[in-house]
Amino acid sequence: MKSEGFKRHGSNSYVAEFAENEREILINLTEQIIELLAERIDHGQEDPLAAMVGITSHDSPPEDEVLHRLLPSAYQDEVDSAEFRRYTESTLRSKKQAHAMAMRMYLKSAEDGTVDLEHDGANAWLGGINDMRLALGVRLNVQERTQDELELLAPDDPMRGVYVVYGWLGWLQEGLIEALMDEN
Amino acid sequence: MVKTDTRIEEQIREIFSNDAPWVTIVWDDPVNLMTYVTYVLMELFGYPKAKAQELMMKVHTEGKAVVSTGSREEMEHDVARLHEYGLWATLQRGDQGI
Repeated sequence: MKSEGFKRHGSNSYVAEFAENEREILINLTEQIIELLAERIDHGQEDPLAAMVGITSHDSPPEDEVLHRLLPSAYQDEVDSAEFRRYTESTLRSKKQAHAMAMRMYLKSAEDGTVDLEHDGANAWLGGINDMRLALGVRLNVQERTQDELELLAPDDPMRGVYVVYGWLGWLQEGLIEALMDEN
Repeated sequence: MVKTDTRIEEQIREIFSNDAPWVTIVWDDPVNLMTYVTYVLMELFGYPKAKAQELMMKVHTEGKAVVSTGSREEMEHDVARLHEYGLWATLQRGDQGI
């Protein structure tokens, strides 16, 4: 990984340069998030008018663990949670897709690898990177495994590469937050 | 005639009313970075950095923290925005054990 991460340029500009392989990894991750969320799109049983106003046929949490983490329950009580999900899940899905799509658009148009974000774009990136980390975190089972265990993954363990990307995304996110919070 | 303390009257009214405040809780999550949680609380709620950091530390050390209080509708709105940014949040009545 070569990029030095995001740096603040002037009052509302956050710039990072990405190597081609870094850009490809990020584009690939945005597409996986967009596809994963699309899998949850309703399967045609619902009332089209209800769908139009954002009411979906889903009132139970996704069975897929990654989707469940991206679309969590709002109440500890199941009945309240189901009701809330029915009226709000599709909006949450579109907002998360919008973050990933914004990231993808910036990356696709950055042919020389330079990404230049203003404040709103930076927030979309932070949310988008976070969704990637949440998704990879489920696959890495970070709930159960300690950081030491993850650091000790063997070089030939397929999870090793996932852990490297997960760590890199955290570093990238942290740098962007520091640039945003830098008052000078 | 016994003169009721108006403060007590208010408290009684609150107990029986459906408008008892609701709370939004953020739960600890091993993925979300501490700086990210702080930034999201500043950005979404307009909290000063010191208050956002204090709440983030509470989440980190105690496993959860109440980050906002208000009507049920307001808390549903807050939870939806926190979910958009990937924080693990739920809402409940403020008088339920947290």
